[in-house]
Amino acid sequence: MKISRRTFLKTSAVAGGGLLASRFLFGGLETLVAGQPPSVPATEEWVPTTCWIGKQDCGILARRINGRVVKFVGHPAHPRNRGTLCPKGVAQIMALYDPNRVKAPLIRTNEKGVPGKWRQATWDEALTLVGQKIREVRAKDPRLLLWQKGRSKSKAFYDEAFVKASGATKLHHGAFCSDAGYRASEYTVGISGVLNPDFRYTRYLLAWGWNLTNAGGNQLCWITWPQQLVQAKERGMKVVAIDPRLRGVGHFADEWLPIRPATDLALALTLCHLLIAQGTIDREYLAKYTNAPFLVKEDGFFLKREGKEQVWDLRSNAPRPYDAAGIDPALEGTFVVDGMRVKPAFQVFQEHVAQYTPEWAAEVCGVPAEAIQRVARELGENAHIGSTIVVDGVSLPYRPVAIMAYHMAQQELGFQAVRAMLTVMMLLGAIGAVGGQRIDVGPWKIHENFEKLDQIEIKDPPYNIYLKDSKFFPINSNNSAIVAKVMQNPEKYGVNYTPEVLIVHMSNPLVAFASQPDFMEAYKKFKFVVVIDPWLSKTADLFADVVLPAATIEKYEGPLAATDQYTDATALRVPPMKPLFQSRGDIEIYLDLCEKAGILYGKGGYLDHLNEALKLKDPYKLPLDRKPTVREIFDRWAKSEGIPEGVAYFEKNGVKVKGPVPATKFYGYATDPPFGGIRHRFYGESLLRYREEMRKRGVAEIYWRDYTPFPTWRKPTMEGSPPEYDLYLISYKLIEFKQSRSSQIPLLAELAPRQWLEINPKTARARGINDGDEVWVESHNAITGETRKVRVVARYRESIRPDTVGMPHHYGEVARHPWTRGQGPTPNSLFFTGEGYVANTADQSFHVKVRVYK
Amino acid sequence: MARYAMVIDLDRCTGCRACMEACKVENNTPTATFWMYVFRFEEGEYPNTHIWFMPRPCMHCDNAPCVKVCPVGARYKREDGLVATDWDRCIGCRYCEVACPYGVNFFNWKEPSKNYYLDWRDKDLSPITNGAVPPYRNPDLEKPYGKERRRTAGGGRLKGVIEKCTFCVHRVEKGLQPACVANCPLFALHFGDLDDPNSTVSQLLRRKPSFRLLEELGTRPRVYYVGGHPPDTEARQIEEVKARV
Repeated sequence: MKISRRTFLKTSAVAGGGLLASRFLFGGLETLVAGQPPSVPATEEWVPTTCWIGKQDCGILARRINGRVVKFVGHPAHPRNRGTLCPKGVAQIMALYDPNRVKAPLIRTNEKGVPGKWRQATWDEALTLVGQKIREVRAKDPRLLLWQKGRSKSKAFYDEAFVKASGATKLHHGAFCSDAGYRASEYTVGISGVLNPDFRYTRYLLAWGWNLTNAGGNQLCWITWPQQLVQAKERGMKVVAIDPRLRGVGHFADEWLPIRPATDLALALTLCHLLIAQGTIDREYLAKYTNAPFLVKEDGFFLKREGKEQVWDLRSNAPRPYDAAGIDPALEGTFVVDGMRVKPAFQVFQEHVAQYTPEWAAEVCGVPAEAIQRVARELGENAHIGSTIVVDGVSLPYRPVAIMAYHMAQQELGFQAVRAMLTVMMLLGAIGAVGGQRIDVGPWKIHENFEKLDQIEIKDPPYNIYLKDSKFFPINSNNSAIVAKVMQNPEKYGVNYTPEVLIVHMSNPLVAFASQPDFMEAYKKFKFVVVIDPWLSKTADLFADVVLPAATIEKYEGPLAATDQYTDATALRVPPMKPLFQSRGDIEIYLDLCEKAGILYGKGGYLDHLNEALKLKDPYKLPLDRKPTVREIFDRWAKSEGIPEGVAYFEKNGVKVKGPVPATKFYGYATDPPFGGIRHRFYGESLLRYREEMRKRGVAEIYWRDYTPFPTWRKPTMEGSPPEYDLYLISYKLIEFKQSRSSQIPLLAELAPRQWLEINPKTARARGINDGDEVWVESHNAITGETRKVRVVARYRESIRPDTVGMPHHYGEVARHPWTRGQGPTPNSLFFTGEGYVANTADQSFHVKVRVYK
Repeated sequence: MARYAMVIDLDRCTGCRACMEACKVENNTPTATFWMYVFRFEEGEYPNTHIWFMPRPCMHCDNAPCVKVCPVGARYKREDGLVATDWDRCIGCRYCEVACPYGVNFFNWKEPSKNYYLDWRDKDLSPITNGAVPPYRNPDLEKPYGKERRRTAGGGRLKGVIEKCTFCVHRVEKGLQPACVANCPLFALHFGDLDDPNSTVSQLLRRKPSFRLLEELGTRPRVYYVGGHPPDTEARQIEEVKARV
């Protein structure tokens, strides 16, 4: 029935009575509209700024009515989010106004280790106190000062200038994120990142532990990657999900390989085995751009003549320096040179992976051998080895196969697993090819770690607090959980001091980092802790002496990369309102803090380091004798970058789009020289060197066993737990939450109010567990025998392996907020750190064996 | 006069629920009220499991059961197809809620100031927000819309009245897309005029097979789905959000 205007008139006759009835039934009238005086004519403004929650800093337009922000919408010109926002971006408006923020500087009045009692202080009092502590500790020994940062939003101001000016030891969050993958990629192909495809051209994608419907991916956050994925899918790209749970890839998976947790290395090695067996390998790439043809002696080291690695030249049938002109290096065979038996690294690899058959992998990884064989075949077919394509007028190798992998790198064998995944792509010649494997977003840029990680000099103790250049973790991702371990037992690790002062900036190690009990113990040892945060984090509540309230989105921050990998762009965060309450922008806090600590002015001071970190050119350099405003600094930066309007450009536009990244900068093959002139480390000779040195220095096998030149499978340590710990616990992120910035936002907490345990119904029923029952989850440390347990609600899921249970992250991170009360435990209270639960690079593992019972 | 409709591409939906949040902020809906809701579904048994997502706004039916049962004409169908709620007239009988087979009506049980997630009457906040509840209150919701200048559910949080999705009438009349559509990061939601053959919605409906929810009831919804199938008894809801109806 269509309602006509006449029907309206008829029905309206009863309306008056209806209104009366409503008053009668419900008593007092309260509405947000009626009865209020007509408001003054509204002034509507749109302020461009940048999201403050997620990692990729999406562009935002803030709708402001009479000076009050009423909504954040996506900035249409920002390459990363194109006018849209994720749920966190939209909901952060509630964080802006939340009266539960820390409103003024707080000074603790009770003992530490228990929920804090506070008194409000003036900024001057709080900053003077913190400045004094920094002065004292620096005078005593700068090593005693630690600076701990979560995701950094203004690296130049925080990680660089402040750390340099203060001399603090920097701790960050990478070892809980994906740093094992970063180290593997930096070491292997010289690019800093984990793995992502070239979505414009990729036709076959292994979504390897990629939680695409909930989390980000390599380098970028959640919006950009799914946008590119959906376009690629509509173009016909096939997606194979390799993941113990399907929820992450969701319905974007064309096929699901429900792999057993922590066996990714085994699967990757088997794919290598199959690619070689079926002959789908790119010999030209391997011979020309990797060290696969380098001759390896029986002791595992390269054959060298006059200090140079040799290859076997098939033309002259003789050993020749690898970079000699006009040679045809052999990849296979055994040769005798200078009386020694030598083989090309590729030959050694072929023999190494012979043991990793699909039948073997089926057993280890818990997926059918046929599925593994099919994936290998499809990888080989889709790689189109030998083909080329013209992009931007340049003819380039076309290998439209790639892996998207990110947080899965954080496992005990993570470094070698990602190296093995890179090896799969190296065999296919897909690294830096069109449609192939990418590792960073934007230009193909060789990272200094390609050389640095190859030239590590292992030192004798004493070591620094995170064991840099140590015999324990020569390649070292700086893991704060290891720091917590070391602080509990410095002698064991050859450390001869205990840090005294800790600055925690927008980080919540007590909840957000794995192995919660270790942090609880270690952080008791700090003499003075200052937390810079808009919220009273759990870390602040238990351990801060002083809390300095930072603003949320309402501040200047930057410069922020805005590339979506194909377009180059830069953005700033611009305050859409003045900082609420007594909070201040973080940069402003650092300027004041440095002044109080006596490290702001002059040569070597914060301002001096800022000039360097922001690469300010004359005449835009900051004078070293005067405290600038934050806006002035960004004005100088923008002008120094060649934007004549200065910061006003960003205040008006938010983002500066510089244009597309040309193919000659984007593709590794297309740079001049190709791949920046480096040889990809198919064979990790220096890993063997580290291994031998570690053994010589008498460290336990658990530290050196994964320093192998080729990725080598072994059973993860957790498999040594007793059989009653029969389930694997994995963790994952939810789209609703991001690090310690959002589980207290009521609009988001409402969507996912309470922690849960994902469990396969078959597994649950066998234990008498119903959907919705509260259960114990108890983890076990296979090395120390320690157990940890939490109580959580079980939820049936057919989309998870029956031998695996999963828990999401980021619950309960802010203390004493009405919406975080009762959110439940973090899985970080179940994970362990230290031997067996970190990678050989000190990267944190998020895998543990557990038992689940009522 | 346009004939408005929404087309939802299930092939593209990642179930992120950003549309739910965009709606909540734009329309200032109170706690546990979701004019837009996104189902997350699981089907089948391990390892033959399938996961999919389905946004569900008000269907703005052409043969709307809620309009028919409203005793006071508070629930009305506009000429452009939008189904709105004149909260000035609503008597809170909740007939519409019972009649609607889609569960998209939300009743205001509480006084609005006590139902906005947090206590916003904070003495440090009020000077900044001028006492607005919620602090991001959208002034557009206060105005009447349409030729008849009638109230829509937006802004009418009178205790004892019903509310539901308006297709963001206050935006549509300005030539803007509904908030959920404008924000969808995957461009899975589309809104436009079915009478315009060049509109995205018309093009999508020509290109892909579509269905509407509970079509068999004869409600003639203005919300079309492409790229998937209607949920049946196989679909189990996961990660459900508790709404207060």
